[in-house]
This record gives sequence, structure tokens and C-alpha cells, in this order.
Amino acid sequence: MFGINKIKPRIDDFLVEIGALSYFSGRFFREVFKRPFEFKELLRQCFNMGNRSLLLVGITGFIIGLVLTLQTRPTLQEFGAVSWMPSMVGISIVREIGPMITALVCAGRIGSGIGAELGSMRVTEQIDAMEVSGTNPFKYLVVTRVLAITLMLPLLVVVGDAVALYGSYLVEHLKGDVSFNLYFNQVFDSLEFGDIIPATVKSFFFGFAIGIVGCFKGYYCNKGTEGVGKAANSAVVFTSLLLFVIDFIAVFVADIFYEL
Amino acid sequence: MKNTKSQKIRLGLFVIVGTMLFVTGVYFIGQRQNMFKKTFKINAYFQNVNGLQKGNNVRYSGINIGTVSGIEMINDSTIKVSMNIEEKIITHIKKDAIATIGSDGLVGNMILSIVPGKGSAPVISNGDTIESYSKIGADDILSTLSVSSENAAILMSDLLKITTSMIEGKGTLGLLLNDTLMAKDMRQSVVNLKKISRGVITTIDELNEMITSLKKNQETVLGVLLNDSISGKKMKTIIGNLETSSEEIETIMANIDAVIDDINSSNGTFNYIVKDTALVNSLKSTLHNINEGTDKFNQNMEALKHNFLTRRYFRKLERKERKEAKK
Amino acid sequence: MMVQHNISAKKEGIETQTIVLEIKDLYKSFGDNHVLNGFNMKLHQGENLVIMGKSGSGKSVMIKCLVGLMEADRGSISVMQNDITTLNQEALDILRADIGFLFQGSALYDSMTVRENLEFPLRRHTKKFDGAIDTETLIVEALENVGLVDAIDLMPSELSGGMKRRIALARTLILRPKIILYDEPTSGLDPITAKEIIILMQDIQKKYNTSSLIITHDVDCARVISDRMILLIDGVDYAVGTFKELSALKDPKVRAFFKQ
Repeated sequence: MFGINKIKPRIDDFLVEIGALSYFSGRFFREVFKRPFEFKELLRQCFNMGNRSLLLVGITGFIIGLVLTLQTRPTLQEFGAVSWMPSMVGISIVREIGPMITALVCAGRIGSGIGAELGSMRVTEQIDAMEVSGTNPFKYLVVTRVLAITLMLPLLVVVGDAVALYGSYLVEHLKGDVSFNLYFNQVFDSLEFGDIIPATVKSFFFGFAIGIVGCFKGYYCNKGTEGVGKAANSAVVFTSLLLFVIDFIAVFVADIFYEL
Repeated sequence: MKNTKSQKIRLGLFVIVGTMLFVTGVYFIGQRQNMFKKTFKINAYFQNVNGLQKGNNVRYSGINIGTVSGIEMINDSTIKVSMNIEEKIITHIKKDAIATIGSDGLVGNMILSIVPGKGSAPVISNGDTIESYSKIGADDILSTLSVSSENAAILMSDLLKITTSMIEGKGTLGLLLNDTLMAKDMRQSVVNLKKISRGVITTIDELNEMITSLKKNQETVLGVLLNDSISGKKMKTIIGNLETSSEEIETIMANIDAVIDDINSSNGTFNYIVKDTALVNSLKSTLHNINEGTDKFNQNMEALKHNFLTRRYFRKLERKERKEAKK
Repeated sequence: MMVQHNISAKKEGIETQTIVLEIKDLYKSFGDNHVLNGFNMKLHQGENLVIMGKSGSGKSVMIKCLVGLMEADRGSISVMQNDITTLNQEALDILRADIGFLFQGSALYDSMTVRENLEFPLRRHTKKFDGAIDTETLIVEALENVGLVDAIDLMPSELSGGMKRRIALARTLILRPKIILYDEPTSGLDPITAKEIIILMQDIQKKYNTSSLIITHDVDCARVISDRMILLIDGVDYAVGTFKELSALKDPKVRAFFKQ
């Protein structure tokens, strides 16, 4: 009994959160097609989220490619299957690791950024000020940000994939004397549309999740500086969790479509 | 707030680069072609491609030189396989090269290998069609071979039986010669031997005939293979050996015949044999000769077994025997 | 317990002016916290009305209900003969162009320069000027009013608290509002800067003949600027009158304000 009493409010809170987030997403879809479009702000956010994340995504991708290859090499060597390295690394990066790592890194950088930014704007009444100025803050702040990250994340994933594969190639080149052509020949030989298309579609959902959760947490931020920190923190935590859920669903759905 | 010009440019650059990376990725995956290299295209026609797929490697003397770019059904029995070949390899492939389909190691990826021709033909050019050597074609050839080689197989097993019984019979020679029934058996065996040697001769004739026809008709793929490859030469020597050994058998046969006749015409066979040492000696040497001859024949047949053209047939035979043994 | 101190007749001529802003019987509660319990208020043309109350007494809530940032539970709010509670978004936005709002913490947009901050309200309210006036001249004029033309290309983070407040005032003024709502205009400022701001407010009122509603708990500010005052206590308009009249009252709750 005692346990249930303790857990129940938490479950209630969680359900309220999910419900509110759903409403928030619904509002996004209602407002995204309504005039006026904040095109300039969208471009600015695209630049902020896309270009400014490039270095981070590039470095993480490069290291992941490097590490993945280095770690797998001994095992494959044992089986005398080092020649399968490009295919293995290629498929795992394009299908799963690239989108997931990029999304998680962006959840950390962009999700928390959005949460903190909107949170502080809420706390310092900037959002109210916008509304009073006749600009719909939801449109100006939320729609542009969510749209920007939804559009930018797949591109970041592509770049991340490319850099990760290059990192993996470098290891193979130095350790196994594999040429650039051979490596990428083998990578592309092993890849199919069934690998790259679901991964790309998934990236759009990842981007949307990062944007919408960050905006949601920031937009409904509690008063005070503590609220801002909480908004940023919970944006990252919730987004990361959501990313895995989406990933699971995406893989599940892709499996049904491509295996049958 | 304002988007500065450099921001716009950088964003544009990022979007373009990202999109291009994606598009090229999709393109390469979609095409699965020999990327980064200039290629030219050649074709070959097959009756059966044994599961060859678009994107499988093309090998020339064991080197990957390109990929299969298309497999297309031309009619109910012809499949056009087109392949992209690295341009730099072009000078090494002659117009008389032959394309075959095989599998690549344990993994079982099919590969298309191009076997060099004689070397006197002109260099291949873009869009050319080269000869193919299809596995189904090999089967056809083998089936014509099998009619004649079937006889050889029966004969071989018969000879084996006889020789073993003869070798074992050395110790019981007295018994064998005393008993008329045994003598009858012996005669029967000799008759069999005769038949066998005749069979061998016909087989050899058939083989010869086939090979000469192949020689004459040099355009056929098998002709080329037989004329030019080492295996072809081996085949010829095998057939030559077969001929000599069967001739030997023939003479042995005649000897045995004479001996048996002698045995039959005399009354006390045993005494006769004991008395006539010369005959005993001759019988001994005859048997020895038979042994030798059959040994050689066995060797030849063994060689024939291992020859790549007839290998398949003998395997089949073995399997059949095993099946029957089970029954 | 509740005592209404309605002291009649204040400044000569004010009563004869038209009422630009009227709140009748306003109720607002957050859960069990009843913030406003039937608040009434009238603002006349050209008047400086100060509303005083303790922190958390519902002053900010009331003022946010006025511009439609919050929805009241009950009661009517009319701004220049328009009932705020029944207006649609578009009409509300048009009406908001006539109401200036100076937020408590200035609420300058952190990510924009001063110029962009001032431009922001003009984005949607261009109709008001029929595009006849160049935005640049409007911005410069607004900055001249607050004496900060040099700060035009600075970021808000580079400004002091007082400068921020002035820029915020300039931003409020740029749409030439008929009514200006000041939410704690002097909070967080040192007395000297606060005085400067008050002087600025008076100048502006003279120059543009605006009506002002000032929310404050700063007695000095109230004394200097107020034509009339309302004491907001326990969610109602506890006492109404001029500064002199109210400071003379013996009611302990009222006395508490003037003791400081």
C-alpha cells in the first residue's frame, strides 16, 4: 500500500507530462502550416543547430568509427574475417550507430540548449513580451526550432556517418593496408536501400523528438533560475529516453517492411 | 537576429554538402557499381547463371577487375550478363576470352571469372561480347561422354574382380586347375576379359572420335579448352595409355585362351601342368602380365576419374553404388 | 473586516476624461491559491494610476490578464471599449499594438541586438504606420527618447540594468501606444537609476499623452508619479485615492505600505 501511494503520483505526473507533450506536438502541427512563416528565424536556427553542431558531430563520429573498428578488429581477426570489416562497420554505422550517436550528441547540445534558452526566455518574460508585441511566440520560437532540428539532424547524421566511416577506414588503412577505394567499395557493396532509407526516416523523427521535447520543457519552464536548469536537464534526459523508444519502434517497423 | 551573409553561405554549404553526401551514398548503394573508376562494359551470354547477382565481382585470372552490372533474360534459354570492367585492364583481355561462373570461397558469393584465350586474338573493346562456358554446357558434354565411359567403368570393376580372384587364386592354383567347374569359370572369365577388352577398345574409339571431332571443331568452347589447356593434354595422354593397356590385355587374353585350350584338351590336367614346366611358367607369366595390364588400366581409369571433365560422372557412379549398397 | 476606502474626487478634470481601461470583478486562482477575488479598477485617459501591493498579491497576474497573457477565471476586462476576454487572436494583436508593456526584468531578447529588439514589435504591427515611416527613423527616435542612441548595436548582455530598462521602455514606445503598463519599473535598480526611469516615464507621458498603469511596491515611485492609487490587498482593490489621501489612512493594512 505504502509503495503504491508513493508511486502513484509519479505515474500521474508522467502521464500528465506525456499528455501535455502530445498537446504541445499537436499545436506544433497546427501552427506549422499557418501563416505567417518565420522564415528568417528558421534559417537562423538551422544555422545554429546545423552548422554549429558540425564539429561536435564530426569529432564524435570520427572517434566512434575509429573505436568501433579498433575494438572489432581482434575478434574478426580470430575468425580470419577482417575483410568483412568494411561491411560490418558500414552497416552498423549507417543503420544504427550513426543516427543514434548523432541524435544523442544533438540531444545534449541542442535539446538542452533549446530547453535552457526558452526556459530563460519564459522566466524573464521574453516570451510574454513577444506575445504582447504581436508575434506568436509559439510560432516564432517553437515551430522554427523544431522544424530546424528536424531538417538538420538527418543532414548531420549523413555527415556523421561519412566521418565515422572515414575514421574506420583510417584504422583499416593503417592496420590492414586497405585502400580507400576498396574500403568504400566494400562498404557500399554491403549497403542496401533497406539500410539507408529507414535510417534517414528515423533521423527525422529523432530531430523532431529533440526539438519538441526541448521546446516543451523550456516553454513551460517554472519560474526562477532553478526552473531553467531543470528545464535544460530534463529536456536532455527525456529526449535521450525518447530517442531510444523511437529507435526501437523504427527498427521494429523497418524490420516488418524490409524483412517480409 | 539578422542572418549575416556568411551565416547564410555556410548554412547553404552545409545543406548542399550534406545532401550531396546522402545522394551519392544512395546512388552508390543503388548502383552498386564499380565506383571511383573509369569502366567499360562487356557482355557474355549464359544458359544458366547459377545465382549470379548484380554487383558480384568479375575476376580475370583471379584479380577483381569489375562488377556484374546487369543480368537480363534474352529468351527462355539465354541470359545476357553485362559487366563493368576497369578501364586499365582492357589491354589484357582478348576477344577470345571465356567467361565462366563460379563461387567464391566458403561464403558462396558467386563470381564471374574471365579465363584468358589463346592470346592471339585482338584486344577487347567497349560493348564487346565474349564467349561463355556455362556449367550446363559442361553437363551436356559430360552426358555424351558418359555413354562411352559407362562401359569403361563396368569394365574396370570387372577387371578388378578378376585380377583379385586371380591373385588370390595363385595359392589354390592346383585346385583351380583340377576342378573342371573352376576351369569353366576361368574360361568364362576369360570370355569376360575378351568382352571387356573389346569394350575398352570401343570406349577408346569413342573417346578418340569425340576428341578428334572436338579438335576439328575448334570453335566450340570445349575444343579450345581441350586443345589449349593442360587438362586437354592430360586427357590425350590418358587416352593414349588406355589404348596401349587395352592392347596388352588383348595379347594376355590370347595367351590365356591358348593355355585353357591346352588344359581342356589334356586328360589329367594337374599332371600335365606338373609335367610341363614350360606351360606352368607361361601360365605364371601370363597371369603376371594380366596383373600388370589391369594395374595399368586401373591407373588410367583413376586418372580419367580425376580429370575434370569426367570427374562428375564418376562421382555420380560412386553415389549410385553407395545407394545400391544401402539397399 | 474588509473596509473599502473610496475616497472621491481626485485631480481636477480626471473624472471627466474617458475611461480607457476598466476591470470589473476580476477573479483568478491557481489551484487553491486565490490571487484575485473581485478586483475592480478604472483607468482614465491621460492618468497615471499606481497599483500598489505586496509581492505575490496578484499585481502581475492582474496586469497580465489585462493584455490577454493570462485568462481570468471570472470578471470583465475592457480596453478601449473592447472586451479582452471575447476577442479573437487577430483583434487582440491589433489591440495590443495600442498597449505598451514594460516588463519587470526588462525582458529584452537576449539573442538580439538593441536594434533588433526595437525592430521586433514592428514586424507584425507595420499596419499601424502604413509602412510610411522608415523603421530606422522610428528606432532612432525611440532611442533618443531614452537617451541611448549609441547603444543601438549592442547586445543586451552588454548593457547595465538601468540601460536595459530604458531600452525596454524604448521598445515599448516604438509602437506609440495609447496605454502603457509598467510592471515594477524600478525594481532591481538603485535609487538614482530608479529616479531617472521615473523622470523618463513622466517625460514620455507628457510627450505622447499616454495613460499609464504602474504596478509597484516602491513608495517613492508611487509618490512621484501617481495621480491616483489603488492598494491591492487580499485580491481586492482595498483602498483607492491619491497618495496623500491613502498615506493619511489609519487602517493598519494600509499603514503597512507607507511605513517603509
